[in-house]
Amino acid sequence: MMATRVAKELLYDSEASLRLVDTALAELRTQNGPDDAGADVNAGLAGLPALLLRAYTEINGALQTLRQSRTALEHTAVEKLHLTSAKLKEVSSATELAATDILDGLDRAIAMVDELESAEAEGDTGRSGEVRQTMRDELFGLMGHLQFQDITTQQLNYASSILTEMENRLMQIARIFDPSLFGLEVPNTASDQPAVAFDPAATTHDAETRQALVDQIFG
Amino acid sequence: MKFLVVDDSATMRRIVINSLQRIGFNDTVEAGDGQEAVDRFDPSVSFVITDWNMPNMSGLDLARALRARADGANVPILMVTTRSVREDIIAAIEAGVNNYIVKPFTPQVLKEKIDTVLSAVGAA
Repeated sequence: MMATRVAKELLYDSEASLRLVDTALAELRTQNGPDDAGADVNAGLAGLPALLLRAYTEINGALQTLRQSRTALEHTAVEKLHLTSAKLKEVSSATELAATDILDGLDRAIAMVDELESAEAEGDTGRSGEVRQTMRDELFGLMGHLQFQDITTQQLNYASSILTEMENRLMQIARIFDPSLFGLEVPNTASDQPAVAFDPAATTHDAETRQALVDQIFG
Repeated sequence: MKFLVVDDSATMRRIVINSLQRIGFNDTVEAGDGQEAVDRFDPSVSFVITDWNMPNMSGLDLARALRARADGANVPILMVTTRSVREDIIAAIEAGVNNYIVKPFTPQVLKEKIDTVLSAVGAA
């Protein structure tokens, strides 16, 4: 939040400085424009160094605030992008872990089908009943691994929200430089996003530890 | 006993409903967010299992909305969510949630919490 406020202040400063530069350059144009061709050339030239010095000072000031803006934006952007990157890595790792768990469970279930066939071929109804129950538990357990889908969706929504925020900030900066002068158009808002709700801290990790905290609070 | 299962993830609703069926609770109704749950809630619902983070109306607001209704003031509410910081858990308690499960959960934990809640409200 602090970085956002500093970045906004710097952006306003930059804009104000650029407007001063624009005013100074307009004055310079007025004094040396074609309408002044018949005026006192010496008087115009005498004032030129002072005007150039003023323009130089303003440009220098504008560059300094732009550098500060860049540093502030860089700091915020890097921090946010690191978070996004970490979230995306977690999505990748959670997906792989769930896939491995499901494959392991399926391997065990297939082995149980073989065992079931063998028990039935031998007419061992007691063992076949036990294997059937174990297989049922195994297959049911596999369903639980699919919870990763809900958690990774929340992580992806979080990453997406950061990218949208960055897009909005870049558009704010782009608008300061009046892109229409270069024949470019900057939309007023970032691309439309459907309403989603997510927990920025959603994770598949340490569920038992987190549940223990809940149990402790609930007593 | 009729369960209202509320989650914006269809996968999660299915997992919870399958888990309920496995422990013998076959009467379920589902909703995709808090608002839909408020609309679907009626006195025949005897247990609510809800996610927290949902569009339109969160699980926390759903708990508050139900507690404000005469027919929902005492219905057991179990929150099932990824949120697990102390402040969130306390906020859930203040909203009227009876118990709380952290995702991802195991069917055993779900059963334990349902039993705990039902014992506490004297319906077990």
